Amino acid sequence: MTYEKQMKNNINNKMMSIVKHPYFGFFLIAALMLFVQLLRIAGVDVPIQTLRAFGKTMIYIIVGLGFSILLGYGGLASLGTAGFVGLGAYILGYFTNQLGLSIFMIILISIVFAIILGTIIGFISLRIEGMYLAIITLAIAQIINEVFKNWISFSNGVDGMIVNNRFVLFNQYVVLDQNLVFSVIAVILFLVMIVTYNIMKSPTGRALLAMRNSSSAAQAMGISIFKFRLLAFIVSTVYAIFAGVLYLSYIPSTFPGDWTLSLSLLILAAVIVGGSRSIYGIVMGTFLIFGLDLALLQNRDNFGGFFVENPEITIMFNGILIILVIMFYRGGLIRLMNTLIAKVKGIYSKLNKKWREYRYGTDIK
Amino acid sequence: MAQILNKALTNIYDFLLKHHESKLAFKKELLIIKTDEFNAKKMKKIEKVELKYKHQLSKLETHAGVESEYLKEKISEKVQEVEDKVYWKKRIINQKIKRAKDEKKKEKLQADLSSLEQSKTNKIAEIKDKFLNVNPSDQDINSYEEQKAVLEKEKESKVKEIAKTYEDKIKELNTKTEEAVKNHEEKIKKYSDVLSNIEESLREQADTVILEKDIALSLRNLSMHFGGLKAVDDLSFDVKKGEIFGLIGPNGAGKTTVFNCITRFYKPTSGEMYFNNANKKTIHLNDVKVHNIIKQGIVRTFQNVELVWELNILDNLLVAAHSAYRSNFFGHSVHSRLTKREEVIFTKRAMKILEDLDLKSYTYAFPIGLPYGVLKKVELARTLMSNPKLIILDEPAAGLNDAETKDLAKFIRKIKDEYEVTIFLVEHDMGLVMSICDTVCAISFGKKLEMGTPKQVQNSKVVQEAYLGGD
Repeated sequence: MTYEKQMKNNINNKMMSIVKHPYFGFFLIAALMLFVQLLRIAGVDVPIQTLRAFGKTMIYIIVGLGFSILLGYGGLASLGTAGFVGLGAYILGYFTNQLGLSIFMIILISIVFAIILGTIIGFISLRIEGMYLAIITLAIAQIINEVFKNWISFSNGVDGMIVNNRFVLFNQYVVLDQNLVFSVIAVILFLVMIVTYNIMKSPTGRALLAMRNSSSAAQAMGISIFKFRLLAFIVSTVYAIFAGVLYLSYIPSTFPGDWTLSLSLLILAAVIVGGSRSIYGIVMGTFLIFGLDLALLQNRDNFGGFFVENPEITIMFNGILIILVIMFYRGGLIRLMNTLIAKVKGIYSKLNKKWREYRYGTDIK
Repeated sequence: MAQILNKALTNIYDFLLKHHESKLAFKKELLIIKTDEFNAKKMKKIEKVELKYKHQLSKLETHAGVESEYLKEKISEKVQEVEDKVYWKKRIINQKIKRAKDEKKKEKLQADLSSLEQSKTNKIAEIKDKFLNVNPSDQDINSYEEQKAVLEKEKESKVKEIAKTYEDKIKELNTKTEEAVKNHEEKIKKYSDVLSNIEESLREQADTVILEKDIALSLRNLSMHFGGLKAVDDLSFDVKKGEIFGLIGPNGAGKTTVFNCITRFYKPTSGEMYFNNANKKTIHLNDVKVHNIIKQGIVRTFQNVELVWELNILDNLLVAAHSAYRSNFFGHSVHSRLTKREEVIFTKRAMKILEDLDLKSYTYAFPIGLPYGVLKKVELARTLMSNPKLIILDEPAAGLNDAETKDLAKFIRKIKDEYEVTIFLVEHDMGLVMSICDTVCAISFGKKLEMGTPKQVQNSKVVQEAYLGGD
């Protein structure tokens, strides 16, 4: 091989190694979000509603990723997700408005809260399994929601908590630009995706899968059920509460009505419809369930406001989606995508072969 | 009081000993991998430098009109490119001729074909002209040798430098590892000395049990009652180190219950179980938790295949190495250096095991859809990942046909010899038991009937009665 050819190959290899890196897809997703944001800053007419929808969707993707570690890897069900996200939001609101703590401090506090909460539920999960565990988490979320409604000094009751992007960074109240917060959320989403990917592909992820398959076999291989159930719950709760903090830093206000069972169910639907063990699947599922709804259907200008006046239609649509996925595609949208991609690839290669035969003759190497 | 203190001390020293041993093994395995890595990097860099040297030399050669090997290669590469292009163009034209209906069009295409041939020869001549100076000046020829010598010197010094840097690195790594190994070995020796001292003092006291060196596992008066049912009733036997021990009995004799007691899935009603672990320390198994059994060196398989269906075979083997990982959750979530190294080391170990058991072609396959015999073998392979001392096989031949059973017997014997483990198995297939076991113990309704070599047990009247019924 000559020097020139070697150099060419080296450059090609380097490019391929970047494109084929597992983090590259996550980078693309975050970059797409930042690009939409940039379009708006540059003056292109992107409706604010679309941008808000993308911001909320990114936050729910973070919740969904935590949920996938719990459900897809740990095999544990929870219906309390919405309550935990709400708790994160209220922690941010309370500590900012009432006590004036720095936002970095608040993130630390919320993570400590999440660990405590996750540990409690993890301990419960050692005794109770399956559907009953889901009901207990639902009850915990309901209790949290009642606290939001009735503990006025903490949460301002049903009137809701208003922050309006006013935070304490370092000893001083600062009003953060929404565009900036959006960008920060996109970067955080990228980091969270990387961390989740690492966990899924690491010995921890494998141990969780082994535990999900058969707890006795897992124990025989040295996997402590106690440790990993607790871990799964703590990770998913930390993700949820952290997402809640992000939520209130982007959306100006929060009400107890935002954090009901229906949100938990929607997150569950997003994870199941997308594919509970795939990051890209969850991104797709969340965009389908939340992004589509928030950006297109909830906009009064689209479809003559039909979906805004009849919100039941979207819920029915979600229900039908779940039924279809569970009946025909257990792996979720990601599996459908993969089969579609494989089919398209097959058709392309067939057409390509035919075209080459037409152009160059039949005896092609 | 002193006794309790001694017991606590033995546990602490045992933990330290294990820690150092795992680190020692890790360091040794890492040394091999890193040395290979360094060597590969060195070779790659040297190759690059040599190619660059040839490239620079070829420029001189072009001026001086010397036809060297590299220049020839370069020219042939360029010529090949041109020829390839012309070849495909020709095919296109030929295809067009085939499809053409007009005679005129055909003639025109034929003319194109011949002109293509002409342009090809022209281009090749051009390339040769470009790279070979046909009339070199005297100055070029004279300076060529000088410049060549300079280049060669440069290249050699570079190669030497690269080789030296990597050799230094390898040396440094070696000395570091040696130091670490020495340090760990010293500590291991110290701790094991302390341990044996404590053990000696414990031996003098009556109620602590120290097993003989050549015994791996000892059950003493083991009983397991489920309500009124006595599944295991006052059973005691010893399993010697390095043998294949078979436990047989009719259906419902309590064989699997014995296994579950040893691996702590059941808590026995009464009786003691002792095990000589990897550190040659006697462990009272009744005090060990289920998920810590594997750390003492006991691994088991299950009657029905219990693989992780979402993972491929290699990852399934890595799951079994879980107890050997030293990296923790935080390391995993940021994919730390320790995690990466451990993955490399355990992947290498898994590959070796897969090769030993003839499973290499299934490395990246998913368990769903694989033949049952292969899955059983994967379970066997999985037990070896944690460097065990005792492997407990629960009906390894259940559901296999004759050929697969013979295959399995071969591999069981192989892993016993190569990995220096003791194997303890329950089996219904008498052919398998009689052919591979060194010692067989027959039980019925939880009670021991006969123990000895396979022949003895086969000829025993009590056993025949239990299996076939009296007269």
